[in-house]
Amino acid sequence: MTDRIILACTLLLAGVYFWATTKIPSLELGDPLGPKAFPRMLIAGLLIAAVMLLLEILRDNKRKIEEGSTAVKWRWEPHQWVVPAVAAWTGIYMVVFEALGYMLATAIYLLVLTAFFNRGRWLMNVLTSVLFTAISYFAFTKLLGVNLARGIIPF
Amino acid sequence: METLVHILNGFTVAMQPVNLWYTFLGVLMGTIIGVLPGIGPSAGIALLIPITYGMNPTSALIMMAGIYYGAKYGGSTTAILIRTPGEAASVMTSIDGYEMAKKGRAGAALAVSAIGSFIAGTIGVIGLTLFAVPLTSIALKFGPAEYFTLMLFAMTAVSTLTGQSPAKGVLATVLGLIIATIGIDLQSGQARYTMGIPEFQDGVGFVVVVVGLFAMAEVFRGLEDIYRGTGAKAMKITGKLWLTREEWRRSIGPIWRGGIIGFVIGVLPGAGGTIASIMSYTTEKRMSKHPEEFGHGAIEGVAGPEAANNSDTAGALVPLLTLGIPGGGATAVMLGAFIMYGVQPGPMLFQNNPQLVWGLINSMYIGNIMLVILNLPLIGLFVRLLYIPQGILYPLIVTISAIGAYAINGSVVDLWLILFFGIVGYVFDKIDIPVAPLVLSLVLGGIMEQSFRQAMTISGGDLKIFYGSAITVTLLVMSVISVALPFIIPRLRALGSKGDES
Repeated sequence: MTDRIILACTLLLAGVYFWATTKIPSLELGDPLGPKAFPRMLIAGLLIAAVMLLLEILRDNKRKIEEGSTAVKWRWEPHQWVVPAVAAWTGIYMVVFEALGYMLATAIYLLVLTAFFNRGRWLMNVLTSVLFTAISYFAFTKLLGVNLARGIIPF
Repeated sequence: METLVHILNGFTVAMQPVNLWYTFLGVLMGTIIGVLPGIGPSAGIALLIPITYGMNPTSALIMMAGIYYGAKYGGSTTAILIRTPGEAASVMTSIDGYEMAKKGRAGAALAVSAIGSFIAGTIGVIGLTLFAVPLTSIALKFGPAEYFTLMLFAMTAVSTLTGQSPAKGVLATVLGLIIATIGIDLQSGQARYTMGIPEFQDGVGFVVVVVGLFAMAEVFRGLEDIYRGTGAKAMKITGKLWLTREEWRRSIGPIWRGGIIGFVIGVLPGAGGTIASIMSYTTEKRMSKHPEEFGHGAIEGVAGPEAANNSDTAGALVPLLTLGIPGGGATAVMLGAFIMYGVQPGPMLFQNNPQLVWGLINSMYIGNIMLVILNLPLIGLFVRLLYIPQGILYPLIVTISAIGAYAINGSVVDLWLILFFGIVGYVFDKIDIPVAPLVLSLVLGGIMEQSFRQAMTISGGDLKIFYGSAITVTLLVMSVISVALPFIIPRLRALGSKGDES
C-alpha cells in the first residue's frame, strides 16, 4: 500500500515539476540548452523511478500471492502522536524564535520537552534548559561571532 | 620526486601547532558524535560549516575530516555497550561486541575495536597516499562530458546500492537533483522554482537539508523510542581494557583483511562503511574454523568490521580528493564543506594547493594516533556520555541544529527548512526511502548540470560527446550495469537454485 502511495506521489511530483518548468522564462542566448533542459531530464528521471517502483510493486504482489501472506493493516497506536506533537512544538519554537529571542524561546522549548521526555527529574531539567541556553548563547554570540536572535532580552 | 616533496611538506603543515589543535578538536568531536546516538558525522560536519565560516580552509577541513573518521571510533563504543550502533557503519560490531560485553569482555571488545581501527585507519591513509597521485593524472584528462558521466555513475551506484529498493534509491537521487535546481540558474540568470520565496533565490542550502534529514529526523525517532520505552540502557565496562594473547592472535588476521576490504569498498562509489563492515563480517565468518561462535561473542566479528569501516573512510576520500566526486552521503557533505571554503577538490587541487591536500591527508596519520589514545585509556570519559538521559540529549540536538541553521543567514526560513526536512527524513525512514543518495545528488546537482551544459556547448548541442571517448563509454556502461544489477542478480540466483535442484 505504502509503495502505491509513493508511486502516486512520484507521478504527481513529475506533473507539478513539469508545470513549474514551463513557467521558467528562457532567453536562449549563447547557451544552446537554456535553463529548462536539465529539469526536463529530471522529469524523465522521475518517470524512470516510477516505472521501477511499479515493477517492484508487481514483483512483491506476485511473491505475496505465492507465499499467501496477507497485508498487515495499518492501525493507529498511541505512540504515533509523539512525532506530530514534537514537530508542532518545534514549529511554535521557530515561529517565536526571533520575536522572543533565542534565549527565552530556547529555554521554554527545552523546559517543556525535557519535562515530558525526562519526566520527574525537575532540577536536572531546569538546570539544563537554563544553563545550556545561556552558555550556548554567550559562546556563540560573543566568542564565535554567530548572530542569534536577541529578541526581547536586552543583551 | 616533486610529489615526495609535497608529501613531506604536508607533514610540516599537519604538524603546525594550530593544525594539531584542530586535528585534536576534530577527532575529539568525532568521538563524541560517534558515541552519542542521534547525531552522526554528516550532520556534525554540516552544523560546523556555518560556525567555522572564515576560518583558514586547511585547518577547517582538517577538523571536519577528523570528525568524519573519528566518528567511526566512537560509534563502536555505543555498539558494544548498548547494542545500538552510535554510527550506522558500526552495525555489525553491535552483534558480537554486545555479546562479548554480556560475557564480561567489554574491555577486550573496546580494545580490539580501537586497535583494529587504528591499524586499519593507518592502512587506509597509506592507501590514500599511494593511490591519490596516479588517479589525479587520469582525472586531468577529464572534460565536462567525462565528469558528467562520472557523476552519473556515482549517483546510480549510490542509489541502487543503499537501501532495500533500487527504485526508491533512484527516486531519492532525482529528488536531490530537483532540490538542487531551486534558485537562480547561474548560466542564464533565471530564477527557477523559487515559489516566490526570496530566500530560495540562492537555492536550498545543503546544510539545512543534511541537518534536517540526519539530526532532526533522528530526534523524532529517538523521542518516539523514549515514549515507547524501547530506548536502550548502557552496560558497564567489564574486564581489562586489553587483549589476552589468544584474543590478539585471533584478531590480527581479521584486522588486516578488514583494513584492505574497507579501503577497496571505500574507493568505490555507493557501497560505504556499512557494506564494508558487513563484507568483512561475512568473510571472517566464512574463513573461521568456528563459524558457530559468530553472533555469540566472536572477537573476529568485532575486529574485522571495525577495521573495515575505518579504512573505508580513507578510501572514500580517494575519489573525493582526486576527482572531486564523493561516493556517499558523508563525503558529499565534505565536498559541500570544501566548496563553502572556496576549495574545489579534484586533480587541480593537487597541483595548485598541495599544502592543503597533503596537510589534510597527513593530519589523518596523526589523528588516528590521537584517536587510539582517546579511545583506549580515556574511553571511560566518553562512556559517561552514554549516561546522559536521552530525554535531555534529543531536545538539545534540536537547539544545536537551530543554532547551526540560523547562523547561516540569520533567517527563520532556514529553521523552517530543518524542521521540514526533519519530518521528511523521519517519513522516508519509515517508508524505506534512503536519504544518502538524496544528499549526494543535492551536493552534486549544480556541478552536474554545469558540466552537462558545458559539454553540450562544446559539442554544439550534439549528444555524441557523451559516448565519444573510451572513458565516457566505460562510465555509461558501468552506470547501466549498476542500475540493472539489482534486477539481474535475483534472477541469476533463481536460475542457479533451479539448476541445483535439477
